[in-house]
Amino acid sequence: MLEQMTMEQTILDAAREVFETMIFMDIESAGSEPQETSPEGAALMGSITFRGGLEGCLTICLSEACARSIAANMLGMDSGDQLSLSEVGDAVGEVANMTMGSIKHRIQNTYNDLQVSIPTVVSGRQLFPMPGEDFTRGQVCTTLDEIFPVTFSMYYKQAQS
Amino acid sequence: MSKSLMIVDDSATMRKIIMKTVRMSGLEFDRTEEAGNGAEALEKLKSAAVDIVLCDINMPEMNGVEFVKQARQMDCSKNTKIIMVSTESGQDLIDNLISSGANGYITKPFTPERFQEKLTPFMN
Repeated sequence: MLEQMTMEQTILDAAREVFETMIFMDIESAGSEPQETSPEGAALMGSITFRGGLEGCLTICLSEACARSIAANMLGMDSGDQLSLSEVGDAVGEVANMTMGSIKHRIQNTYNDLQVSIPTVVSGRQLFPMPGEDFTRGQVCTTLDEIFPVTFSMYYKQAQS
Repeated sequence: MSKSLMIVDDSATMRKIIMKTVRMSGLEFDRTEEAGNGAEALEKLKSAAVDIVLCDINMPEMNGVEFVKQARQMDCSKNTKIIMVSTESGQDLIDNLISSGANGYITKPFTPERFQEKLTPFMN
């Protein structure tokens, strides 16, 4: 199975590809310690599951303000203030979807049979994923445009044959 | 020559993003349609055929693979160019889609240049 550090670098590379190509925001590793919950205040969490030789889920956790900024950039708008929470959630789901697609592409030499679900997004406060037991966690804490913290977490385990 | 475009994706936000990116590519369409899944797209094609369809793969109700197969069996869409737009990038899947009747493939994340490259051959 992929080493945790390799997976974390893969997640960061995939996130960079997505944010630089379609969202036009700078994303940098924050290098901070793993976090258990989402940012303070209103937050969104996008998640997407996968199965095959490797199974688990990828989550992206961010504040609502950050999500609005991402959605506005994706849609070519000056501000995300006018967007509905549904539209903002849609954008977060697409970020999760595209990041997982890029990860899948990057690890296809090792796992070429991954099937990915349709993304789901929840909004609220104190959000955190509950992946179950026996999963390895690869977590990347990043900063968008030097302002917004965004956490990518990947919970994964080798599928039982 | 006037051209028409349909964007098929279950995410309304992604449909807007694709439309924005198509505009940024410099390509112009006289008529644009949207559909939230393959079944809705087929119904719209029966009402009014389009020249080019940009279609996601992973969608509820009817996915992009099934959409391509059924669209190719309908007279109204036999000449429609269908370009898949998806995060899926496995060569086997792409080969399967092309053999089913898809005319091209664009991987997410995408750029305006990628749309220009893939759609321009079908604009004349």
